[in-house]
Amino acid sequence: MSERAPVVVLAGNPNSGKTTLFNALTGLRQRVGNYAGVTVEKKWGHAKLGELEVTVVDLPGAYSLVSRSRDEAIAFSVLSGHAEELLPDLTLLVLDASNLDRNLYLALQVMELGGRVVIALNMMDLAGTMGIEVNAKRLSEQLEVPVVPIVAAKREGLGALEAALLATLGEAPKARSQPVLTVPALHRLEAAMPTNGADASRRQAEATWMLATIAAASDAETEGTHEDPLDGRPELNEARAVARTLLSEQPQLASELITARYERATELAALASTQRSAQGPDWTERIDRVLLHGVGGPVALLLVTALVFQSIFAWAEPLMDLVEAIFGGLGDGLRSILPAGVLADLLVEGVVAGVGSVLVFLPQIGILFFFLALLEDFGYLARAAYMMDRLMAKVGLHGKAFVPLISGFACAIPAIMATRSIESTRDRLVTILVTPLMSCSARLPVYALIISALFTSEARVLGVLSVGAVLLLTMYLLSILFAVGFAALFKRTLLKGPTPPLVLELPPYRVPRLGSAFRRMFERCVVFVRDAGTVILACSIILWALLSYPQHAALSPEVEARRVEIAFITDPEQRTEAESELQAVMDGERLRQSYGGRLGHLIEPVIEPLGYDWKIGIGLIASFAAREVLVSTLGLVYGIGKDADEESTSLRDALRGEVDPRTGKKVYTPLVGLSIMIFFLLACQCMSTLAVVRRETRSWRWPAFMFGYMTVLAWVGAFVVYQGGRLLGFE
Amino acid sequence: MTLAELELGVRAKVVRVLEHRGIVLRLMEMGLTPGAAVSVQKVAPLGDPMELLVRGYRLSIRRNEARHFEVEPAERAS
Repeated sequence: MSERAPVVVLAGNPNSGKTTLFNALTGLRQRVGNYAGVTVEKKWGHAKLGELEVTVVDLPGAYSLVSRSRDEAIAFSVLSGHAEELLPDLTLLVLDASNLDRNLYLALQVMELGGRVVIALNMMDLAGTMGIEVNAKRLSEQLEVPVVPIVAAKREGLGALEAALLATLGEAPKARSQPVLTVPALHRLEAAMPTNGADASRRQAEATWMLATIAAASDAETEGTHEDPLDGRPELNEARAVARTLLSEQPQLASELITARYERATELAALASTQRSAQGPDWTERIDRVLLHGVGGPVALLLVTALVFQSIFAWAEPLMDLVEAIFGGLGDGLRSILPAGVLADLLVEGVVAGVGSVLVFLPQIGILFFFLALLEDFGYLARAAYMMDRLMAKVGLHGKAFVPLISGFACAIPAIMATRSIESTRDRLVTILVTPLMSCSARLPVYALIISALFTSEARVLGVLSVGAVLLLTMYLLSILFAVGFAALFKRTLLKGPTPPLVLELPPYRVPRLGSAFRRMFERCVVFVRDAGTVILACSIILWALLSYPQHAALSPEVEARRVEIAFITDPEQRTEAESELQAVMDGERLRQSYGGRLGHLIEPVIEPLGYDWKIGIGLIASFAAREVLVSTLGLVYGIGKDADEESTSLRDALRGEVDPRTGKKVYTPLVGLSIMIFFLLACQCMSTLAVVRRETRSWRWPAFMFGYMTVLAWVGAFVVYQGGRLLGFE
Repeated sequence: MTLAELELGVRAKVVRVLEHRGIVLRLMEMGLTPGAAVSVQKVAPLGDPMELLVRGYRLSIRRNEARHFEVEPAERAS
């Protein structure tokens, strides 16, 4: 062995318990990164086999090595030794013993590639209750590789597995006594494959893979809409041409290949397993009778969704308040030990507040992923996709887009991170692009302030509903409408493509495990902080600087006069109160004169047609940090202090009383309020969302596009509402 | 008849695939190859997709794709 640690690659079907085995082998020593050039997540960890330290890599779960996109091609590149960053020494195949046919299909594909292979036969317990008895020894004889029965979830058989891994790593890769699969028709193609050191069996396997991959991409409906999985492999050009000719002469070749491999898999499964009658009831069938029932199914889905949201609102909010309180306290503490000045301001208001604005998302991300992990483990996420597929297909999306989209009601950030379950890159992008249109919880304080300040609470619609409730409901309905509408639009224009086919396994129900749910939650939080945190932090420091510089604003004569007056107040209580009032007024003046404030003036001509003045402009700029910041910024602008929230009566009064000095008319009319609400509904006023989109798409192009289209949309929406309202005679 | 027309709960066998393009190949890789036993277990609340039982597991596909598979219902038990 060379001095680097041997690399063991884990491959297997989704739901085969591959990740459970990965966790069992590596414990807490795991890392998450990305494969170069694609958006596929790379998970690896370290394990000790006796004295030997090995690197274990968890490949994405797959039913086949045939690739339909560059993302999917990663598994094949790694296993065939074409991914320079990751050269495997051994492939550990995880097979679900309760579903041997289909699992063996992938196993055969992997074994065709040659190299060292060890098979872990997982879920022997489940197979047992289903009456399936698998003879590992017989399977091992047939496949000529070690086969170890395990129950990964209960850590059974791991010792034997580790011993088998160690023994196999110690030997040279064995040549097989006969090829896994022989296809005479492919000889022509094999001859055209580049030799570069690969032995005959690997060349054959690569030829088979290439033929299957080209055939898989040959879909009249998807032609030209998928990126080529063979991209970046120019050495294959010659062989590719041969494969194309071969396929045009014998179009059935690819399907014959699949049939032949499946026949072998079936034969192997029959040799190695016996089926007796099941011991005990089929729980999956019983649960499905309720959860997939024509009426009960949708009702249950609604209940589950409501429960998850309720938990996010109920648990995330106190946690988020806690994060804010901790960082507020930390800032105050720092301020008390540091000398007042630029450094203290930068550290407290820039860095500490910025770190706080990253961590404040963790409760929502954590809770959402905790529930998603539980539901996925249980087997429910696939069923939610199954039930919602018909609706999602209407706008050209996959049933799997439902969960991320609906999660957008809580927060777009975890929702965008949840789009990873969507296989097709295009459909994933469409879902990412429209998810921020769903009305997230950060918009609520904005709606609440506007509604309570500008709409009378006594008025009723249809005699029962308050105007506020109707407005709020309208906002949510509009957000669904816009998200769905734009998904349909993107699917027909920018990311044109047919509705992706649904190929969805509904796995047997399993008792979800808290440990793995916590692990998933932790992993997502780490990824967010590490990959998006820095961008968010940088943005918040820039925003802070914009809104606090230049520091020495010229104070108006009124303020100076007031300051002198205060010096003469003798009652300490009255004096403190007067001082804090003056401080708020001064803060407001400073903000108005800051670069951000000037930017507010600068954009006034652009936002005037929406009914906004430059002070609202400052609010729009500041709320880029997060939408709810609009409320505290308006508090600052109107000299009420930065602690104003949507419940603040003085802020409400300030909005109601604000008069345009040029026209003498009120600035905030109900129509302007409506225009602001529409703007916030549609605009991407959230740097953290953009940072996460960059992380998930690995480029700045898509976040830039998202910001652009949503801002234009918001402007147009607010313009139509405001100018349309005025045409109809509203003020 | 095609898989899309197969009645609920009737056991059948895939006889042949009617096309050789991408999605059909993908479904074949999921186990819907000629000779495989298949039955329709359920239909989603909104009428589509359908839930199949094939090779001992549950697979959900849309009717639109099921049309590409010719099936032969097994003899009904008399």
